[in-house]
Amino acid sequence: MEVLQSCWRSAARTDRGKVRERNEDSVLDQPERGVWLVADGMGGHQNGALASRLIVEEIAELELGGNLDQQVRRVRQALHVVNRRLGHEVTVTADQPDAVMGSTVVALLGNQERAVCLWAGDSRCYLWRNQRLYQLSRDHSLMQQLIHEEQVDPLEAARHPAANALTRAVGAHERLVLDILEFSVQPGDTLLLCSDGLYQSVSTGILSHALGLISPEAAVEYLFSHALSGPARDNISAVVMRR
Amino acid sequence: MDSAVDTPASPAGTQVAGKPAKPTLPAVRQGGELPTVLSNRYRIERLLGVGGMGAVYRARDLLREQYGDPDPYVALKTLNEEFAEYPDANALLYSEFALTSRLRHSNVIRFYAFNVDRVSQRAFMTMEMLKGPTLDQLISERTEGLNWHELQQIAIPLLEALHASHSVGVLHGDIKPSNVILTADGLRLFDYGLGQPVQGLLPGLPRLSRKRIAAWTPRYAALELLEGGPLTEAADLYAVAVILYELSSGHHPYSRLTAKQAKCMDQGGTLNKPENLPSNCWPALKAALAFDEEQRNTTVAQLLACFSFKPTSLLQRLFGHAG
Repeated sequence: MEVLQSCWRSAARTDRGKVRERNEDSVLDQPERGVWLVADGMGGHQNGALASRLIVEEIAELELGGNLDQQVRRVRQALHVVNRRLGHEVTVTADQPDAVMGSTVVALLGNQERAVCLWAGDSRCYLWRNQRLYQLSRDHSLMQQLIHEEQVDPLEAARHPAANALTRAVGAHERLVLDILEFSVQPGDTLLLCSDGLYQSVSTGILSHALGLISPEAAVEYLFSHALSGPARDNISAVVMRR
Repeated sequence: MDSAVDTPASPAGTQVAGKPAKPTLPAVRQGGELPTVLSNRYRIERLLGVGGMGAVYRARDLLREQYGDPDPYVALKTLNEEFAEYPDANALLYSEFALTSRLRHSNVIRFYAFNVDRVSQRAFMTMEMLKGPTLDQLISERTEGLNWHELQQIAIPLLEALHASHSVGVLHGDIKPSNVILTADGLRLFDYGLGQPVQGLLPGLPRLSRKRIAAWTPRYAALELLEGGPLTEAADLYAVAVILYELSSGHHPYSRLTAKQAKCMDQGGTLNKPENLPSNCWPALKAALAFDEEQRNTTVAQLLACFSFKPTSLLQRLFGHAG
């Protein structure tokens, strides 16, 4: 299995940005296991940072074993347990009974032939294939819901005061609903997992150029040099994988 | 910022007139990220759990590792930043340590030491490192509920741990499925972060003031806690009864509502015995699940006696002996 999965090369980075007091994003980069993840935490004080860290560290040590389908099942189960931990199992204080402790998640599991992307929230997965960029994940945000389910015009949806509010996240609801996308991989496929801090601060042209560079390391460096040259108001995270 | 703890006697770091000054521990610490190594000894490796007030990490004890200990891991608890900013936060964590280090029971987590990292001034305590599924994992996997034999294997050690705590005057204050773990060598009850000594025990120690910081886990908190009342044995009894009901039936007794919501909807009247539960356990469990404290007319010891019951077989009943 290790020989099969060593066909992946990857690089990852996360940065606090220039404005936020702390980094609430966490990343996981395990090319030897074929597992990568970005989590963007939310909540007051350090709750967001703890939530995203809990997700990453839970998956980092998860015994995966088996084939890709079994691995996906294990990761899903683990995310459901974290959802419960951050949701109704959490101790709350009387002055903050509704304190939020949650996180987005976008994860990719891959072997030589196939890859599976699972996500909740607005962290994204992109695929660069044959000189074209595809967004594989669809944001779980109010804006996306207005556009796709209520056929609201995208410009009008973006003006909604709560356009960026998440409709799904780990720890946010009683039941966690993960979206899952499975696809076959081709040699040269390059994938990007990132938090909104990254894709909000660079254009799709920059994303495409980065993913076409010679290595995942070069792609990550290019993305961060562009993202950090701007105002960088949010935390920034990216993981780039190439088959 | 207000003090978060009641200090009936002299708080750490305060000189009392007429007495010599005690060595002082810095009482105020600045918020900030947790250092990677605490007290030059404990290397933080990963986050194990988070709560409203504290976080627990797995740490490698570098000293034990240096002496060749093959398993040099400890669980390490610190207060969350928002609580670490309270003036006597360190004393608050110490009171948890002082309270819980009185406990000696094979089904209660073992506590090792209380420390303050000199550089960051962050207080922390170390405990045995526990591995295994917690009851919330078990409940989410076994939605049909546990059979009677399986339930007994959890209920008996859990009730014994709670009974042992109460016997030495220690109230838990936050019993819930994720605070109970099934390790290879048995069940452990942990996280006494909201614990309280019963009146009169440990009189000199600072204790969590429920007037200033009231905290609970909504689905497991007794009605009186939600209404601002003091923590008593009866509140721990309610919480443990919710867990036992959940384990037996596979679902929360009050449709995952808080006691306050469930009472408003009069859910107490429609509570049914879980199918897998023997009839002789139901009156005590039902009483322990009463919303009003004065209606909860049973005890942890009585519940333990019920759950320790071994049903006799038909042959035993026919021939009148235990075989």
